[in-house]
Amino acid sequence: MELNANSFGRNARKALQDKTLQEALGRTTGRFVAHRDAAVAAFPEFEATRERASRIKRDVLDHLDTYLARFIEEAEKRGAIVHVARDAVQAREIAARIARDEGVTLAVKSKSMAAEEISFNEALQEAGVTVVESDLGEFIIQLAGEAPSHIIAPAVHKTREEISRLFERHLGEPRTGSIPELVGMARKHLRAKFLSAGMGVSGGNFLAADTGSVVLVTNEGNGRMGTILPRVHLAVVGIEKVIPRLADLPTFLRLLPRSTSGQTISSYVSILTGTRRAGDPEGPERMHILLLDCGRSAILEGKYREILKCIRCAACLNACPVYQSVGGHAYGWVYSGPIGAVLTPLLVGLPEAAALPDASTLCGACADVCPVKIPLPDFLLELRSDAREQGLKTPGEIAAMKGYAGVMKRAGLLEAIERIAGVLGQLFTKGKGIGGLPYPFSGWTERRDFPAPAAQPFRRRWKIKRGVTR
Amino acid sequence: MNERESLFHRLSAACGGRGAAAGEPLAGVAPMAPEDDRVALFAKAFTAAGGVLLRGPVEAALSDLGEILRAEGVAALFFPEDDAAAREIAEALVPFGPFTLTTGAEVRGGNAAASAGFRTAEAAIAETGTVVETSAGGKTLLPGLIADVHVSIVPAASVVARMEEALAVFTAGPPRNISFLSGPSKTADIEQTLTVGAHGPKKAIALLLE
Repeated sequence: MELNANSFGRNARKALQDKTLQEALGRTTGRFVAHRDAAVAAFPEFEATRERASRIKRDVLDHLDTYLARFIEEAEKRGAIVHVARDAVQAREIAARIARDEGVTLAVKSKSMAAEEISFNEALQEAGVTVVESDLGEFIIQLAGEAPSHIIAPAVHKTREEISRLFERHLGEPRTGSIPELVGMARKHLRAKFLSAGMGVSGGNFLAADTGSVVLVTNEGNGRMGTILPRVHLAVVGIEKVIPRLADLPTFLRLLPRSTSGQTISSYVSILTGTRRAGDPEGPERMHILLLDCGRSAILEGKYREILKCIRCAACLNACPVYQSVGGHAYGWVYSGPIGAVLTPLLVGLPEAAALPDASTLCGACADVCPVKIPLPDFLLELRSDAREQGLKTPGEIAAMKGYAGVMKRAGLLEAIERIAGVLGQLFTKGKGIGGLPYPFSGWTERRDFPAPAAQPFRRRWKIKRGVTR
Repeated sequence: MNERESLFHRLSAACGGRGAAAGEPLAGVAPMAPEDDRVALFAKAFTAAGGVLLRGPVEAALSDLGEILRAEGVAALFFPEDDAAAREIAEALVPFGPFTLTTGAEVRGGNAAASAGFRTAEAAIAETGTVVETSAGGKTLLPGLIADVHVSIVPAASVVARMEEALAVFTAGPPRNISFLSGPSKTADIEQTLTVGAHGPKKAIALLLE
């Protein structure tokens, strides 16, 4: 997917002015949050399960080499062909080669963020393979020629009217305002694709090391269909998705659907192990698993390794006031919200996405909801500091922050400035507040007045209240 | 060094030196609840997931099931050739029809319009309201995949309390496909409106045999 992360400011402004998007975001993120909160409240073991999941994932990261080797061994033992790709270029080459060698001309794909990372569809299209997205949201986005805006609900920004227009233009369907009818149209169209496609492409929510299984969690059943009906199954998965054992899966299944949509469990969980066995009436004859490094081993080495615990539930997106305001496209790459603001710079390089760690108020809502306890606000702050060290901040910004730090470290100086500011503030604004500041401060005063400094600073009032006079 | 070796070289450098893999102690699986409780919990959770649960005397359940299938416009009842319980239920439903019986050739070919697929489930999970169907022993998954209505036949004795118990059977050598089915195929991708039948069955029915 094309990278546009450093334009976050411009993207965000555009998103804030997009009426349709604002309506859609208002309608959806609040509902996701409410459903998630209700599901967590109804599950008393949530905290304990979260702690357990976090510990399992930390163990996986500490021993990723061991667990990944075991996964590959078990998967190959059961007939799967495992490929590893160092970067997106290599992953695209491997994917295209698999499709070519398997003689595939049509592939049906279920949602995979990993595949988005490597621009999978483009790679196969260049190799002459038609790739049809089968997740309803992704299908709509594909027809519209756009990129998904949300990990879980990619078409969150599209209204039924827009979707009906797309189906009229691309599928020849009559216009309708009925959502069940729209779903029926997509079902009919995609069913034919499932039955004729040579290859089903999936991501993988989890990889069980002790059995070599790829686990898919879906509500629509597209992941299930694409991994049973076509002759070839290709799973594109990041190396960090390994869990030690199939027996650990329930722990994660108790967290993922609840965090994503507030469901106790998603409609379908498919545990896929190897190729079809002798005597199986259906199932793929060939199974390929494409494991992506694409920057992950480098993350594992550094101070941000816990970001690799992420199970892609999107709870942090929905909880984030910035995401709620600007949606996913503004983040300019595959991942959005707090997870995107951390993961994108780590995967593509901080210089390419230094604007993203700033796209946060550090309110901490993301850390509160993260089902695997990733310290997202700490990472956001740390990345800002890295950006400064790497010279990715403007000299003005650096000077301002240095000045701020200098003052904040000296209580006496701060107090003196507060007193002067109080006197000057009252004198010039007559207590009314500050408006109409020139650039670069205009952003603060464009839409509201900045409060005037108080005549008596808080710390002074506090001291008087406590009877300390000086 | 090939690409795989080079990956493991990088990984070992990045995560190595922290001792052997700890693994995790197995989850403390809740003690087996009495069968009545498990069945009641399963019934509640399956219904909450959007499924339709039929239980009680088989005669009454068949009559209800026939009515549901007619209301869904089902014309063909589809069951795997080697699934005796599914065949028995499907055959017993014919008088409630008009229904035709099929073992699948035409369903497999893609003409699955207005069919109900019958299958005996391997297990059911009380915790999540899940029906477990697998490819173990060469069984087909199509009744729960491409039919418009899926009827899972669930023997009460096969209901387990938690997911761990359902998986424990398979940890030694899982079949190609273990499917957890919890209610109908759902989507909320258009305007966050919950709609059934995105790809899989529009209706998921569990017929509990006690």
